[in-house]
Amino acid sequence: MSTATVAEQYRALRQEAAAAVEALKQKPVVWVGTATCGVAAGALKIKEAFEQEIKERGLDVAVLETGCMGHCYAEPMAIIAKPGHVPLCYGRLDEGLVHRLVVDFLDGDDPGYEYALVALEPNDLFPTFSDFPRGVYEEKMILEQCGFIDPGNMDHYLARDGYAAVAKILEMKPEEVLAEVKAANLRGRGGAGFPAGEKWEACRKAPGEQKYVICNGDEGDPGAFMDRGLLESDPHRVIEGMIICAYAVGASRGYLYIRAEYPKAVERVEGAIARAREKGLLGQSILGSGFSFDLEVFQGSGAFVCGESSALVRSMEGKMGIPEVRPPRLAESGFRGCPTVLNNVKTFAYVPAIIMKGADWFRSTGTAGSPGTAVFSLVGKVNNTGLVEVPMGTTLRQLIFDVGEGIPGDKKFKAAQIGGPSGGCLPEAMLDVPIDFDSLQEAGAIMGSGGLVVLNEDDCMVAVARYFLEFTQHESCGKCTFCRLGTRHMLDILTDISRGKGSLESLELLQELCEDVRDGSLCNLGKTAPNPVLTTLRYFRDEYEAHILEGRCPSLMCKDLIVYYIEPKKCSKLCNVCVGSCPTEAIYTRDDGLKAINQEKCVKCDNCLKTCPVEYNAVIKLSPPSLLAEKEGKSK
Amino acid sequence: MSKVTVIIDGREIKAPAGRKLLWVALENGIYIPNLCAVEEYARPPASCRLCFVQVEGREKPVTSCTLPAADGLAVQTRSPRVDRLVRTAFELLLSDHRLQCASCPANRACELQKIARERKLKLRYGRFPYLQREPAPDDSPQTFAFDPSRCVLCGRCIWADQEVAKIGAIGFSRRGINRSVTTFKDVALAESPCNECGLCVKACPVGALYFKKTAESK
Amino acid sequence: MELLEGEKEQILATVDAILNNQPLQKDRLIPVLQRVQAELGYLPGLAMEKIAAAAGVSAVEVYGLATFYNQFRLNPPGKHQLKVCMGTACYMVGGQIALESFERRLGIKEGETTPDRKFSLERVACVGCCTMAPVVVVDENVEGHVTPTRVDGILLSFEGEEGKTRGEAKSPAAVESEAKP
Ligand SMILES: Cc1cc2nc3c(=O)[nH]c(=O)nc-3n(C[C@H](O)[C@H](O)[C@H](O)COP(=O)(O)O)c2cc1C
Ligand code: SF4
Ligand code: SF4
Ligand code: FES
Repeated sequence: MSTATVAEQYRALRQEAAAAVEALKQKPVVWVGTATCGVAAGALKIKEAFEQEIKERGLDVAVLETGCMGHCYAEPMAIIAKPGHVPLCYGRLDEGLVHRLVVDFLDGDDPGYEYALVALEPNDLFPTFSDFPRGVYEEKMILEQCGFIDPGNMDHYLARDGYAAVAKILEMKPEEVLAEVKAANLRGRGGAGFPAGEKWEACRKAPGEQKYVICNGDEGDPGAFMDRGLLESDPHRVIEGMIICAYAVGASRGYLYIRAEYPKAVERVEGAIARAREKGLLGQSILGSGFSFDLEVFQGSGAFVCGESSALVRSMEGKMGIPEVRPPRLAESGFRGCPTVLNNVKTFAYVPAIIMKGADWFRSTGTAGSPGTAVFSLVGKVNNTGLVEVPMGTTLRQLIFDVGEGIPGDKKFKAAQIGGPSGGCLPEAMLDVPIDFDSLQEAGAIMGSGGLVVLNEDDCMVAVARYFLEFTQHESCGKCTFCRLGTRHMLDILTDISRGKGSLESLELLQELCEDVRDGSLCNLGKTAPNPVLTTLRYFRDEYEAHILEGRCPSLMCKDLIVYYIEPKKCSKLCNVCVGSCPTEAIYTRDDGLKAINQEKCVKCDNCLKTCPVEYNAVIKLSPPSLLAEKEGKSK
Repeated sequence: MSKVTVIIDGREIKAPAGRKLLWVALENGIYIPNLCAVEEYARPPASCRLCFVQVEGREKPVTSCTLPAADGLAVQTRSPRVDRLVRTAFELLLSDHRLQCASCPANRACELQKIARERKLKLRYGRFPYLQREPAPDDSPQTFAFDPSRCVLCGRCIWADQEVAKIGAIGFSRRGINRSVTTFKDVALAESPCNECGLCVKACPVGALYFKKTAESK
Repeated sequence: MELLEGEKEQILATVDAILNNQPLQKDRLIPVLQRVQAELGYLPGLAMEKIAAAAGVSAVEVYGLATFYNQFRLNPPGKHQLKVCMGTACYMVGGQIALESFERRLGIKEGETTPDRKFSLERVACVGCCTMAPVVVVDENVEGHVTPTRVDGILLSFEGEEGKTRGEAKSPAAVESEAKP
C-alpha cells in the first residue's frame, strides 16, 4: 500500500491522463459519434470509411469514437481536430464527404467550411454552438462532455478533472457532502422531483450495516433517450456521482439498473466500471482513503413497471417487478431489505459538479423551486431533434421554437406531449408555461423523465391518448384492480371513439374512470396512466366530439374514419406509380385512363399517398368517409 | 405490543399498535369489503383496492389493509369518495368475472355477493361491459376444480399453496390484463406437484376454486 | 412442444455450464435466465425446471418470471427477428403502418413466428432512434424511415438465402425450424 494521500494519488492519475490526452492533440484526430443514434444512422460505416481513406493515404491520423452531442437530426457526425485549426464538427456524413474531408483537410489544408456544422472552440472564422439560436438557451451542466470525449477511454474524463469530486469528498465528512447536496436542492430527475438530499439523509440515518446505492437507468418512456445518451457518452460522470452518494450515505455496494434493450449502454458502463476499478477509483479503499465501494450492472428484462422503485428492487431480487405499498420507503427497507438510495441517471450526473462548484453555483441556474437544468429528448414534428439541456424555467415555446427551431414544413403546431405515458398533452395556449417540476404539474402534465414529443396538425389527439393508454395498459403489472381492469376499459372506450362508435355518455364515463384509476391505483404507473387522457379531454375536447358526433377525425389519422381518394382533377394519365405501390392491388385504371381506388380492397396503408408525385398530389384522405359518395357523385 | 385507541365510525376501539385497521374493524363487527387480505403477509399486497376508508384529516381514501392502528386514528368506513372508489373497483372486478350465481358452487358463500349486499351494489354488469375472456376451466384434480373465469386474482390460493402447504404448484404468471393463476407451463393441476390438500380451495373467496360435488369436503 | 433428439442434452449441458454446479442465489435468477436465453434463443421448460431446482424455488415461480418480462420467450425465435419500434415518435409517423405491412406480408401477427421459422415479428418500445422514425430493427441492424415499400425491400433481401445457409452448422433452433413445417 502506498502512503500517498488521496490528493496526491488523484493528482498522479490526472497528470498521467492529461499527458496521454496532450499526446493525442499533437496529431489530427477524427472523432466519430457512435452512440446508438449515430450507429443507427450509419456511423460505423463512416468510421470505417475514414480509416480506409486514411490508410490508403498513409496519413498519421487517429480515428476515435465519441458519444452523442445531442444533435441527432444531423447524424452521422464527426469532429475533426487538426493541430493548427479549430476543431470542426461535420454532420450528415456519407462516404463521398468523408473522402473529400480526408483528401482536402487531413491530407491537404482546406477544412471545407461549406460542409462544417459548427466549430467547437471560440474563433473568428466559424460559428460555435453558442452562436446558434439554441445556444442562447442551452446550458450544459451534465451533457457538457457528451460527444466530445471518448467514453471508452477514461483518460479523457480524468484529464477534464474527472473524479476530482471524489478526491475532494474523500477528505470531507459524509455529513458535509450531504449538506452540500441538500443545500443545492437537487431534485430527482426520474420524474417526481423528490429532493435527493432528503432521500440520502433518510438512508444515512436508517439503521443497518449494509446499504446500497442504485442508479435507475430503466428509461422506459417510449419517446425518451436522455439516460441512454448519458450512459453511452459519459458513463464516468454517473459513476462518480454514485461514488459520492455512497460515501455520503455509507454504502459499500451499488448497482446500475440498465434496460437490456440498451446493449451499448451496458457495454460502455461495464467497460467504465472495469477501468475505474483498475485505477483504484472503485473497489477496496478508493484512492487509498479506506473507503470502499464497488459497482455492478444489472440488466433489466423489459418491463416498464420496473422503473418504479419498489418494482425495480424486487426484480433485482429475482422476483416479478410488482410494486409494493409504501411505506416503508427504499431508504428504510430497499434492496434485500437494506436501506437503499435509488436515483435517476441524471440525478447522479449532477452531483460531481455540485461538489466541485458548490450548491450556490447549481442554484444560480434554473428557478428557485427547481434549480439546475432540464434535459429533454426532443422528438416528433420539430426541426432539430435530439438531446437538449436548458435551464429550468425555460418555456416550452422557447424549447420548441428556438432550440428546436420550430415545426417542419408549413404545418401548424398542435401540442407538446411531455412526460410520456405519465404526462400530458399541452396546447398552444400553454406554451408559455415555464418548464419546472411544479408548473408542469399544475398544467396537468409532469416533468417526467424528459421525453418531449412535438405534435402538429396531422396528429390526432384521440389517437395520441389511445396510444399512451395502449402502452400503459400493456405495461401494467396487473396486480391491482384499477390499473389492470380500469386501463383496459379506458382503452376500449377510446378505441370505440376512434372508430366513430363513441357517445357523449361514454366520454363522461371515461372522465370518471380516469379519476378513479388515478385515485385508486396502488403505484404511480396506474395513478398517472390517465394523464394523457385527462389532458386531451381538457384541452382538445372538440376533437373527441368530432369523432363522436360527426364520425370525423379532424387530423385524418384514425383509420376507421378516413378513406383514401384519388382526385380525378389532379391525377395524370401519364403516371402510374400508385398502382404498383399498392400492396393489395386496390388501385385500378378507369376507362378514362385516370386512377381510382377500390375501397373494398384498400387497407389504408398510406403508400399511394406517399408515392404520388408532388406535381400531382392527387391522393387525398377524406373524413368522415361519407364524403366519398359526395365526391364520387360530383366527379362522375 | 402496546395498545392504542382508534375511532372507527365514531366507535372507540382498543387495538394493538401497528395492527392493520382492516383487521381491527372486522374483529369488532365492522365490515369493510376486502378480497386480497391475509393477515400473515409481511407486506399486504393491497391489490384488490376494495378496503378503502376515509381517514380524518386526509383528503384521499386509503386502503385499510395497509393502515397501521395508531393512537387517536379516526376513520370513517363510508364517505362519498370511499363509496365511489369501492363501487368502481367492484364493477371493474365484475367485468372480468363470469356472473352465473345460480349455477355457481360458491352461491351464497361468495365474498362478491357479500360486498354487494353490504354496500348495496348490483350483481350485474353495469358501466363496464363483461370482457368475455373466459379461459378454460381445469377439472383434472379428483376432488376440486379451477374455473379461472371466476377468479378475482386475490392471490389467497397462492398464499395457501406456497406459504401454508409449501407445495409450489400454483403461482401468478404473465403480466397486466393477462395476469393469472397458473401451474408451471400452464399444465393441468393433476400434472403439477399439487397433492390436493384442498387448502387453496378453502382460501378462495369466490367460486373459482371449488370442491367437486362428489368429493367429501367443507 | 416436443424436443427433438439431442436437444434435451444440449439444453441440459448449456444450463449446467451456466450454473456451474454452484447453488443459485435467488437474486441471480434473472441474470441466469438471460444467459440461458442468450445461448439457446429461448427458455425451454426443461431449463426453467433445472434453474428452479438450483435456486430452491418452485418451477412455477420461474415460469412467473419468464412470462412477466418482455425479454423472455418460451418458444424458439425465427431465424430473423423483426422488431418494429412502437415508441411515440415512430408510432406518430407510421410505425403502426409498418407493423401492419409486415403482418400482411408474413401472414402472422406481432409476437408470432412464421411457420417456416424464418421470421419472428415483435413490437418494441422505443429503441432510441426517434430521429429516424419509423424504425425497424432487423436482426441487429436499425432500419430508418420504413415505409410499406421498404418493408417489401427488407423481406426481399432475405429471399433465396435458404440455399446459401444450408451447408452451415446449424443451431438447435434452426434444426427445429426445418423439422417443423
Ligand atoms: C411506472 C414507473 C416507471 C418509472 N420509470 C422510471 C425510469 O425509467 N427511470 C427513472 O429514473 N425513474 C423512473 N420512475 C421513477 C422512479 O420510481 C423513482 O422515483 C426514481 O427513479 C427516483 O429517482 P430520482 O429521485 O432521482 O428521480 C418510474 C416510476 C414509475 C411509477
Ligand atoms: S397501479 Fe398498475 S402497475 Fe402499479 S401496482 Fe397497480 S397494476 Fe401494478
Ligand atoms: S382462484 Fe380464488 S383464491 Fe385464487 S386468486 Fe383466484 S379468486 Fe383468489
Ligand atoms: S384488502 Fe386491502 S386492497 Fe385488498
